[in-house]
Formats: sequence, structure tokens, C-alpha cells
Amino acid sequence: MNVRKKSTAVTAAGVLLVASLALAACGGNSNNGGNAAGSASAGGASSPAASKPAGGDPKKNVTISYTIWDKNQQPAMEAIAKAFTDQNPNIKVKIDVIPWGDYWTKMSAAAPSGTLPDVFWMHGGQFIKYATGKFIEPITDKVTAGEIDLGNYASNLGSIYTLDGENYGIPKDFDTIGLAYNKELFDTAGVPYPDDTWDYAKLAEVAKQLSQPDKGIYGFGAKLDTQAGYWNDILANGGHILNDDMTKSGYDEPATIEALKARYQLIVDKASPTHQQMTDTDAVEMFKSGKLAMIFDGSWDNGNLASSDIIKGKYDWAPLPKGKVMRGNIINGLGNVMSSKGKHKEESWQFLKFLGSKEAAEITAQMGAAIPAFTGTQDAWVKSQPDLNLQVFIDQAADAVPYPSGSKSYPVWFAKEAEIMSQAWGGAISVEEGAKKVAEMMNQAIADAK
Amino acid sequence: MIAPTLIGTLVFWFWPAIYSIYLGFLKSENFGLDNRWVGLANYERLFKDGEFWQNLRNTMLYVALFVPTTIVLSTFFAVMLNAKIKGRSAYRVIYFLPQVTMAAAAAMVWVIIFAQDYGLLNSVLGTHIAWISDKRFAMYALVMVGVWAAIGFNMLLILAGLQSIPRPLYEAAELDGAVGIRKFRWITLPLLTPTLFFTSIVLVIGATQIFDSIYLIIGKTNVALPAVRSLVYAYYQNSFIYYDQNYGAAIVNILLLINLILTGFQFLMQKKWVVYD
Amino acid sequence: MGGVASAKRRSNIVIHLILIAGAVIMVFPFLWMILTSLKTTTEATQIPIRLFPAEPSLRGYRDALAQSPFLHYYANTLIAAFMKTLFPVIFSAMAAFAFARIRFPGSALCFFLIISVMMVPNPVFYTPQYMMMSKLGLVNTVTALWIASLVSPFATFLLRQFFLGISKELEEAAVLDGCNPFQIFRHIMLPLVKSALVAIVIIQLLWSWNELQWPLIINSSPEKLTLSAGLATLVSMFLTDYPVLMAGAFMAVVPMLVLFFIFQRRFIEGVAFSASKG
Repeated sequence: MNVRKKSTAVTAAGVLLVASLALAACGGNSNNGGNAAGSASAGGASSPAASKPAGGDPKKNVTISYTIWDKNQQPAMEAIAKAFTDQNPNIKVKIDVIPWGDYWTKMSAAAPSGTLPDVFWMHGGQFIKYATGKFIEPITDKVTAGEIDLGNYASNLGSIYTLDGENYGIPKDFDTIGLAYNKELFDTAGVPYPDDTWDYAKLAEVAKQLSQPDKGIYGFGAKLDTQAGYWNDILANGGHILNDDMTKSGYDEPATIEALKARYQLIVDKASPTHQQMTDTDAVEMFKSGKLAMIFDGSWDNGNLASSDIIKGKYDWAPLPKGKVMRGNIINGLGNVMSSKGKHKEESWQFLKFLGSKEAAEITAQMGAAIPAFTGTQDAWVKSQPDLNLQVFIDQAADAVPYPSGSKSYPVWFAKEAEIMSQAWGGAISVEEGAKKVAEMMNQAIADAK
Repeated sequence: MIAPTLIGTLVFWFWPAIYSIYLGFLKSENFGLDNRWVGLANYERLFKDGEFWQNLRNTMLYVALFVPTTIVLSTFFAVMLNAKIKGRSAYRVIYFLPQVTMAAAAAMVWVIIFAQDYGLLNSVLGTHIAWISDKRFAMYALVMVGVWAAIGFNMLLILAGLQSIPRPLYEAAELDGAVGIRKFRWITLPLLTPTLFFTSIVLVIGATQIFDSIYLIIGKTNVALPAVRSLVYAYYQNSFIYYDQNYGAAIVNILLLINLILTGFQFLMQKKWVVYD
Repeated sequence: MGGVASAKRRSNIVIHLILIAGAVIMVFPFLWMILTSLKTTTEATQIPIRLFPAEPSLRGYRDALAQSPFLHYYANTLIAAFMKTLFPVIFSAMAAFAFARIRFPGSALCFFLIISVMMVPNPVFYTPQYMMMSKLGLVNTVTALWIASLVSPFATFLLRQFFLGISKELEEAAVLDGCNPFQIFRHIMLPLVKSALVAIVIIQLLWSWNELQWPLIINSSPEKLTLSAGLATLVSMFLTDYPVLMAGAFMAVVPMLVLFFIFQRRFIEGVAFSASKG
């Protein structure tokens, strides 16, 4: 038996060697032609004829893959998948979590080789890249046929995943940012909790007041973060991340630099741990172990905070402070999309549709995973943890500024931004220099993407 | 009989190396599906990029610190173990342990050992150094991890070299009154040079490719990253995080050139110090 | 005489002290890994530092296992290590024997082509190999983990040196007895280089076990990853939740540690042996 196993393995290896030699040779002289062949086969796979056999036999048992990036939402996604399988017993859903830090690296390696998951989470910033590459399946005809109504979703979240008149994604949820605070640390110091009258000056003042650096306790976690960090400060101060038509970076505007400097000042004043300390221990992790009095965090992360035994029942949420110009807050909506090269497109579509249903939204809400996009289901999320003031996230949505997605250059500049800003946050260069470098880098990326 | 190895090498190694050189002359878009010939543009950009020179310096500094330290310490411990003492095999097993630890796992534990506030190293030394996020120390921290992992393996290689030195030579030297350091300097070291040469070649090739520990210990948003970023890390970053595989290819092609030069240089220099009998 | 003996003993004590100090440094990170894996997050980052957990907690292990398909990691790592060890040894032995003993046209050129890639840093291969896997439809498969490593130029080079070192008389006798080259290879030469083969098995095994960058690039689904790439994912997922990270790290090192303790003599002799012909 052993011998037979070996010999098949040897044969397989041999066949592969030969096959790859042949293929590699083809690859060599058809770098331009290879592209045409690639898209031709992609087109073939997505043609109705090719996808018919899968849909023609609904009883066939298939397993489709669904990839997400937030481990805290995994239980809710499992529950949705289970509800789906109960209704479609022949379709099983396997859920994979690829953490956010690796997610887009992995997806961009999977995309050109046709190995994207059947269904997966999409982010507004990355969407254009995958849509223009034709790696995700358009769902326009399903929308036209009335299989799904993109008008069902709050605000105009349905429009995020639209490019050149084609629809690609179904809204999953939306998120805003809140100010999480540790009630115990406030109580001990006899300081009133944050509320909607707070501005940034007040935040800084209280942060200093609550800091006890010798005990490892700090008033605020001035972390290096965009969406749940200084982007909100920038907007509040009248600065920009990108200008309105997305042709130019706003990082070098004086108002932007001022906002960044103000946040960095909290580190200088020892009202926040240093960037080095927050590299050793993630800021959210510090908040979870009761070492930070306040931190900005996204609505999606409430489940993560709530999972800590140390701060359970001892923390709550407040709106972000007001800035010079407005109360800055970023709103973003995630979507679910399906691969254009999946093997089980019909089944994937069934699941995608289910993910966009009211039922799925209700599961998401009740399990406290995220604020569902489906109109009228947000209240259930707020009530999922009645002891917490989750309403602040919904209230802030009204005046929030959309996430600066929608440009082709986003995936490149977003990846590089953190690297440059970490130099400023760590004190290797000044904040102003860092911001200007980011602006230059972004403008270059925007120019390159044209 | 050579067919599998020859074909396998040509297909999976030789051809990719050639292809990588070709990639360095292209500019790809849309996930590498559209390619355009741009000649030397990637290299021009590379040579004008201060970051590239910094990465090159970092890589060379790592090699310059890591290789000699590893060789000296491995030789030192090998000489210690070559003495007739009890428990030799136990020591060999213990010193080899880091080698059988997965590099990734080891890197992860070093992160907590190096932590500034609650790290073991600072506790032991009574210091408060941000080992992995201070650009003055991060390189040394990486060298420390590298040497820690490499000693066991190289010590064994050198020990084998030591044991192949014929006993009578020492006995003759002892009759002439040579002891301790002098015995080491005039007999052991010259006869060990072929082993040291082999080890240094292998160590240099490995050290120029440092990636794992930067990826796992330093990380993407560490302020010390520019002070330790190697060419291979820059390759990975550009190819897979910044989606510019051609620029990435240009970087590793330079690394290839450097390795050829370094290896050639070592072979040229061996006449000066390696003693063959 | 007594003076010499006691001087010897004194120097032996010094040697032991030095070696023990080194041994502590070699072993301590492991102990720290295990101790931290049993702590709570607060204990792991406590100031001043705390050696032992107040009450060993298995939460780190529970969370690591809940979020990462460790069984897949083990299986994939094992499969990859097996393929990347077995085939290179077989193929290299065959090729090395041929290069050492059989004269054929183009032999020198072929040998040169094979060993020339030894000078090439591995990352040079990755992007083109990724493209090749992509064309073959092997991206994100377990096969992709080992398919490119079925041959080993290094092992071929090393074994050729060993074959060259074997005297030809044995073979000549075998030829007189009517053995063909294959029989000579199988029954005479292979047994003679058994230690070298063991050495190569061990080196390939360790190398495959440690490999991080390639699995990180080529596979994206969690259940297609190896232990090392799985650990990297665990870091991205749990950031600085050290008990979880250390639990994952410990689970990843255990199989090789067990293997090492069982076959320690072979490991150590194997490595030492490879030096003798390098």
C-alpha cells in the first residue's frame, strides 16, 4: 500500500513537472497574449452557458466559501450561514477569517489566479480595484430583475458598490466611530463622564488629568490609526484626507497638520502612551485591560471590547468630541461580493442574496456584531447590549463624512500611509514632515493610477 | 537519472530566476495581467530612492554583524564542547534547540522578551530600552535573535571540523610547549579554516535574505522599520503590499547580483586565509 | 601530578559554567513561551514582570484553537515537509550518482545549471513561481506548498561530493559480477552514503519546517496554510494578546521538538556529517 501511494505521488509529480514546463514555456512568449487568453477564459466562465450546469441541478451538494476579516463577527456570520443552510440544505457555507492586516494582501494574490473565495467582505476603498479587474461578479441583472432591492438599505449605502452603472455588492453594515471610556477610571478621579458637549480641548484636558504614567495608566490612547483615529480629528478641524474630487491629498493642508499635531501632543504630554508602547501593546488591548481611560474605536469593535472580563460593565460610549469646524466622524459601509470565477456561482448568489436579507441583518444586529445596513434593523443592534449607549453610533451617522474610498489609487496610498505616519508617531520625523510626505506620496499614487 | 532534478531545477528555479530579471524591465498593471516594457525605469527609480540605499545598508550591516558573531560564538562553544567534559551530548542537544524551534514561533516569543515596559530582557539588565522600536537598538535585537537561532547548527558543523583534526598534531604541539590560546591559534584555527569557509558562505547567503524576523518582530508600523528593513522585506512589501511586483523584482535582482559578488569575493579571498592540506 | 589534575578540574568547572550560561539563554525563550501561554493578558504585560501565572489559564490555547484551524496547519506542514524531504533525497541521490559516476555528454553543463541556482536568493524565485502556480491553477492549494521544492540543488551538490569520495574499486568489482549502473546505485552506492542521506533528510526537514515567506505568498485560505504562516496570521489577528500568541507558538513547535528528542542523535550526527564534505 505504501509502495502504491509512493508511486502515484511520483507519477503525479512527474506529470506536474512536464505540464509546468510546457505551461511555463507558453507563459514566456505570451505576456501580452496571455492576458487576452486569461480574460477570455474568465469571460467564458462567467457566461450563462457555463454557469447553467451548477444552477440546473439544485439538489447537488456544494460547499461555498465565505471570507471575512473580523474574528469578533465570526459567531454572527456562522449563525447567518446556519440559517441559510437550514433553508438551503444542499448548500454549506465554510467561513474563513483572514485578519484585516493580511486581508488585502491575500486577496490581491488570490484575485489574478482565480482563487478568490466564493463570497467575501468588500471594503469601499478596495472595491474599484476588484471591479475594474473583473474579479468580482456584477449583479446588475439580478437587481434589474428585482431579485434584490438596493433601496432596502440605510442612507445610500447601496451606491458604494456601484461602478460605471454596474452593481457589484450588497451592503452588509455600516460603522461610525465613538469615544469609549472607562467609567471606573473616571469615577476614581471624580471626573464626569464624556458627553456630547465635549470638544477636543476638553478631551485633552481630561486625558492629562486621568493619566498616571508611573502606574502605566493613561487618559487617552492617541494611537496611530486612520478611520478610528486621526481622520476624525482632521475632519473636525476642517482638514481633509482627500479633496472633494479625489484628485489631491489633504494631508498637507494646515488644518490637517494642526489636527495631527494636537493628537501627537497628547503623547508628548504623557496623556497617552507612546507609539513604542502601543507597538508593544495594542492600544485597544490596553483599553481592554483597564489601562486607558479613553480611546476612539469603531462600532464594529464593541464586541471585542465587551469580550474583556476586566472592563466588562465598566466602560461605555460617548460621541466623538466637537472640533473647530464640526464633529468629525467617518462613516463606512461594508459590502458582500462574490467572485467572478467561483465554481458555484448560482449557490453563491443565493447566499449573497441571503446575506442582504432582513433576516441576516437581524442576526447581525441581535448578536451585536455590527450595525446592519438593512433599513429598520439598526435598533436591534442598539438593544443588543442595553447597558451600553450604542445609540451614539446611530446618532452620529447623520452628520458623518463618508470614508475616503472610491479612488483607484486608494489601495496603494492607504498601505503606504501607515508606514510614513508611523515615523512621525514614533518621533523619528516631525508630524508636519510626516504629513507632507504622506501628501506627496498620495499625490504620486493618484497620478500613477490615472 | 538526472532528469527529475534537472527538469525540476530548470522549471522551478532556473527559469523563474531568468523570469525575475525580465520582470524587472516591465511595468504591470491590474494585478499583473497587463504588462508594459519600460526598460531600465524600475532601476532608475531604485537608484534614486534613498530608501533602497538605506535598505541595502541595513542588509549589509546585518550580514556584517550576524555572520562574524555567529562564527565566533559557534567556534567558541564548539571549542568548549570539544574539551573532555561530562554532559557533552546534553549540551549539544540544548544548544540545538533553537534550530528545531520554528523561526516564526521563536520570533514571537522574542517580541515579549524585548518589550520595553514588561520585557524580560530589560528586567534582567535593569534597563528600559525599547529594543525593537528604537532605531538605535532594533538591528542589534534582530542580530541577537539570528545568532541565538544559528549557534547550535553552526557549532555542530565546527565541532565536526574540530574533531577531524588529528590528535597527534596536538600532542606534538604540546611537546613543543604550546598551550591554550597558542595551541588554538597555531593548530586549531588553521585546520578549521575549510569548515569556517563553508559555514561563512552558507551564513552569508542566508543572512542577505533576512525577512522572517523583521516581518514578525518589527512589523509594519514600527518606527524602527526603516533602520532595519532588508532588501527582501522591501521586496515583499513592494510586491505584495504595495502591488508593484516589478519594483519588487528589481530589488531582488539587485540582491542576486550582490550575492554573486559576495560569493565570488569569498572564493577569491579564500586563498588568503583558508588552509587546505 | 595532583596540581595538573586540579588545574584541569578547575578549567572544567569554568567550561561548565560558560556552557550552562549559554544553555540557559538557549532554553529560556521556550520556558517563557510556555509560561506566558498560561498567563492572563494582564499577567503577561504586568509591571514589574511576573514569572509564573497566579493560576495557569488555558484561555490562550482555547482562543488560538477557536480562531485558527491548527489541525489543517499540522496536516499541511507535515505533507509539505514529507514531500520536500522525500523527493529531493531520492532525486538528488540519483542525479548526484549520475554526475559522479556516469559519463555523458553535457554532464558538466547540466551540473553547472543545477548548482548555479544555489547562489540565487530564494525571494528571486517567488514572484515568477507565484505566476507559474497561478497558470497551473495551484494558487491556494497544499500542492503549491511543495511542488516547487521536489528537487534540491544543494542536496545534489552535497551528495555528489560524497559519491566522488567513494573508491571506484567496489563498483569495478560489481561490474565484473554483472551489475548494471542501477543495481550498483541501489545496492552498493546508496548504502554507503546512508549517513549523508540522513543528513539531507534532516536539513530538508528543518528548512521546510521553518519556511515562512513562500506559504505566506502563495496561499490565502486559513486551512491551506502551514504552521509558520498560520502563526503569522495569528499575530495579525490577535496583535498583542500574548497568551494566545504564545499558545499558538507552543503548539507549533511541539511536533518538531518531539521528533528531535526521539531522534536527537540522528539530528546532531546528521548535521555534523554534512560538514565533513561541504
